[in-house]
Amino acid sequence: MNDLWTNRLSEYIDGELDHTERAAFEAHLATCGHCYATLADLRQVVARAKTLEDREPARDLWAGIRAGLTTDAPIPLRRDRLVRRRFSLTVGQLLAACLALVLLSGGGMWMALHSRGQPNQQVVDQSPPSPRGITVARWKVQSDMAIAELQDALTLNEGKLDTATVRIVRQNLAVIDRAIAQAQHALRRDPGNTYLNLHLADTMRQKIELLRRANALASES
Amino acid sequence: MPRQVLEDTLTADSIAADTALAASGDASAFERLYRTHVARVHTLVRRMIDADEADDVTQDVFIRAWQKLSTFRGESAFGTWLHRLAVNVVLARRKTVGMERGRFLADDAPLDNASGKPVTLELSMDFEEALARLPEGARQVFVLHDVEGYRHEEIAHMLGVVPGTSKSQLHHARMALRRHLER
Repeated sequence: MNDLWTNRLSEYIDGELDHTERAAFEAHLATCGHCYATLADLRQVVARAKTLEDREPARDLWAGIRAGLTTDAPIPLRRDRLVRRRFSLTVGQLLAACLALVLLSGGGMWMALHSRGQPNQQVVDQSPPSPRGITVARWKVQSDMAIAELQDALTLNEGKLDTATVRIVRQNLAVIDRAIAQAQHALRRDPGNTYLNLHLADTMRQKIELLRRANALASES
Repeated sequence: MPRQVLEDTLTADSIAADTALAASGDASAFERLYRTHVARVHTLVRRMIDADEADDVTQDVFIRAWQKLSTFRGESAFGTWLHRLAVNVVLARRKTVGMERGRFLADDAPLDNASGKPVTLELSMDFEEALARLPEGARQVFVLHDVEGYRHEEIAHMLGVVPGTSKSQLHHARMALRRHLER
């Protein structure tokens, strides 16, 4: 056993020996069974480390985190930060959200339409409305009302926002509206599609959130 | 578009959308980010500190992430940003609980006997358990280098030691762990 080289086996594995040291070590390795065996073990350790898998915590930690979010005021409530990042971050974030919506919408249609095949239009049209369908319809009416109110408020408040922000908000609303229209179009063909209903609900929720944020920005200006 | 590619794209973009919404104060979007990333964060934390503190520190990581979302500029993936934040929280905790540099350096000696039990009884010990029994300094260097892929220079900077110390700790950790490889 050669302690000098044994202590440098990891450097050899990680390619951190210079050319001369490496050559000397390899010459030693040819004659030292202990170093040879230890080197093989260490390589296994390195390989094993790369195969370790992530594990969920034993209990759900969200409740504690949620409580922490309440006690520590969320960033958007800080007016000074809000004003500073109104253009650079908020617009970028809105754009990211919209790009995602476009993909979600297109992808959602693709998945929904390709995973279920062609819907049986006649059967669907003749089915009586289910209780769930009534619930969805009621929810949709409420969402439409909320959106209408928020849009009216934004029309009144828009003048308080700078033109760049107004332009971005309008562009994003247009993207969201297209996503909603696509979802509604697909739902007319396949009203019972759970994914599409959830997707529509989520998209409308995001529209409400965008309108709410835009109104909040305007009211703080 | 292949279904898996499409689903990956949707996942990445829904994370981007949720990040944007969370930054605007949407706690529901932040919960979705939590659900997506908690296993990765918790595993990192659990490996780097004592397991019984992992839950608390993981919660702290996510609360800090919420507070710092305004500093996330989207230059890297949200997961990468969160992961680095988790490392910083763990290392900051290490300082606050008094694991000063001296103790870090003094970790070398007990490595081979880290388990406190005869090694022959533990040949089949789970690799994760063996990792958990390493002294903290060696464990953190091993996790950061061999599991997470950080370089010695980065680790040395994060831990406030010289790269040579990081290399030495890594080697000792590997030597201790080789006794616990599943055979």
